[in-house]
Amino acid sequence: MNIIETHDVTKRFGSHTALNRLSLSIRQGSIFGLLGPNGAGKTTLIRILTCINVADSGSVLFQGHPITPADVARIGYLPEERGLYKKMKVSEQVIYFARLRGMEKKDAEKSLRAWFEKFQIESWWDRRVEELSKGMQQKVQFISTVVHRPDFLIFDEPFSGFDPINAEQLKQEIRELKRDGSTIILSTHNMASVEEICDDIALINHGELLLNGAVGTVRRQFRQNKFRISVEGAFDTSTPLPDWARIISTDSDKHATTLVLQLSDDHGANDLLRLFIEQYRIADFGEILPSMNDVFIQAVQSNSQKHQQS
Amino acid sequence: MSKISVIISREFLSRVRKRSFIVSTLLMPIIIVVIILLPVYIANHVEKESKIFVLDDNDYFINKFHNTAKLKFEYPSGELDDLQQRCIAGECDAVLHILGGSQGNRANLFFFEDPPLSLKGDIAEQMDEIMFDRTLQQEFQLDIQRYKSIKELSHSDIQTLQIDEAGQAETRMVELNRIAGIVCGALIYMFVFMYANQVMRSVIEEKSNRIMEVIVSSVKPFQFMMGKIVGVALVGLTQFAMQIAFVALLLFAVQLFAPQTMMGGPAPTEVSATAGTAFDGAAVASNDADLFADISAFYSFPFSTLLICFFIYFLIGYLIYASLYAGVGSATDNETDSNQLVLPISLPLVFTLIAITIGLSPQHELIRWLSFIPFTSPMAMLYRIPSGVPLWELFVSIGLLVATFFACVWFAAKIYRVGLLTYGRKVGWRELFRWLRL
Repeated sequence: MNIIETHDVTKRFGSHTALNRLSLSIRQGSIFGLLGPNGAGKTTLIRILTCINVADSGSVLFQGHPITPADVARIGYLPEERGLYKKMKVSEQVIYFARLRGMEKKDAEKSLRAWFEKFQIESWWDRRVEELSKGMQQKVQFISTVVHRPDFLIFDEPFSGFDPINAEQLKQEIRELKRDGSTIILSTHNMASVEEICDDIALINHGELLLNGAVGTVRRQFRQNKFRISVEGAFDTSTPLPDWARIISTDSDKHATTLVLQLSDDHGANDLLRLFIEQYRIADFGEILPSMNDVFIQAVQSNSQKHQQS
Repeated sequence: MSKISVIISREFLSRVRKRSFIVSTLLMPIIIVVIILLPVYIANHVEKESKIFVLDDNDYFINKFHNTAKLKFEYPSGELDDLQQRCIAGECDAVLHILGGSQGNRANLFFFEDPPLSLKGDIAEQMDEIMFDRTLQQEFQLDIQRYKSIKELSHSDIQTLQIDEAGQAETRMVELNRIAGIVCGALIYMFVFMYANQVMRSVIEEKSNRIMEVIVSSVKPFQFMMGKIVGVALVGLTQFAMQIAFVALLLFAVQLFAPQTMMGGPAPTEVSATAGTAFDGAAVASNDADLFADISAFYSFPFSTLLICFFIYFLIGYLIYASLYAGVGSATDNETDSNQLVLPISLPLVFTLIAITIGLSPQHELIRWLSFIPFTSPMAMLYRIPSGVPLWELFVSIGLLVATFFACVWFAAKIYRVGLLTYGRKVGWRELFRWLRL
């Protein structure tokens, strides 16, 4: 079941096309990574999903029906550029945002207390926002996004401004929200976190969809026939290798040597194993999949070249 | 509770709770009361009685000055040096030395400590009078007392009456009407700009702090804008009502705790100074007539109309300007940029302020036109109201104002919607009009 489906969504600002016939779907209960270089159209897409902007053409379906403002009330949106009223007390502020999303004051307060306890920040309750550090404000903003218990969450660069410890805590929270049944869109440039927590991704550039699918599938799509093999003892570099295998790097210690090899397209893992199994005791073996970082760079660069040519 | 009321209550409470709100709400009435009472107080207390030693080389002026509440004349014998020493010793406040010879109209006024501001003028006035009497007596051989009585009788007494269509005449105080008109017009000007500016500043703050990004996903921009405008309007009305109440309270307290002794004017002494002739009765009678005319003009003054219209024009005028200011605020990232956009909007009110302060009469054709044009009518109409405005003109003016308000809100909401999420661009009026079509 898809919580969100977009069909041929197009949005223009003057002569600039921000989104060009973009179609994608987001599975209910998944963590969906929305990737793309700056200016690719991610924020525009998010604003269309949250009904801040309206698409020029195409349709957006929420759980199968065209999205309505009532659906938007079930969305929690943490924008990339986000601010708080500096002079307001932390608690008043979050309760205000929750009430604007349709929560009753009492419910909002109760839910907020629970979150404050969870993050162990009860002492912030009566403090003014201007007294908090940037990271602290980010935490408050995260809470204000989830305080009304939305079942669809959109986090735009949620990790910016967080130290590694807090970033880890945030990842835990996102996973927990997923466990509780929420669907999450994560828009970020932090590719490591995408690999870590996303189920599916969509990569967009120039308002068009470049890649879409499960993280593992997408990475496999970009496999380069690269393998890592560890053998016990030393590796004899004088051994001639067939021309379909090329050593990219070697790394050895007292007990073992690890090689990274690039194979030509007509050969695979079995050929490599066959080659080594005769002469060496194999300690470890595996395919090296490109990181999301590599996938991102490769896909965007080749797409941008195409754009320049056309 | 609906979202818009949540917004209104936040906008209202966040302002009312501010220390600056409380301070300005209390401070303004105190300033107003002080401005009202200070001149009276100064006249009665600070300008205490001054004792003047008169030294006249010709001895003509001796015993001719009359003592008033402020001036007490003495004519000690002695040389100038001697009198000056006594002045330094504090026996008197000033020594008036009237020079002898043909220069009987020239005098030196010596003082040790700074004299009251009015001292020189008051003395000169008496000297002029004494010299005038002397001329009448010496050159024209007139009886001075008789002359004065004749002069008193020749006193004109003009009452200002306004006639209406039915031919009924009613006493009006032109000056009071004019001053009330100017004060109300200026107050409207001040309040409209003050609160409209608050709206604009808060829109700019929300935009540049990126609070809007968070809010627009939960609330329609129009709701948010209207909530803010209404919230600030309530702040304005609250502040205004509190200030009026506080001024009234202060004035009441002053009357209660500082009765006649403090505020009693010097008027009785002045009346008695001119008394003492056979024609006195007539003079007093004419004074009474004056007083009576003043009171009836005071009661005929359209207080309730003025107050009601003040609220109507303040409220709608504010709503128009606040919505325009909100639109403009949303189109800019900082206050400096907003100023150039605000200027053309504020010019009509500034123009009206100038038209009023240069003293165009409320009946002037320009003022009449301005009282219909919605952007200027809040000020111009209030300037006219004390002098009387036909009811139909009032209704037409308010009708136009309300219609303009709706047009402005529509205009502002369009700009606001686009402007909120537009950053880093310096927007001009042409671009704003382009946004209307988006």
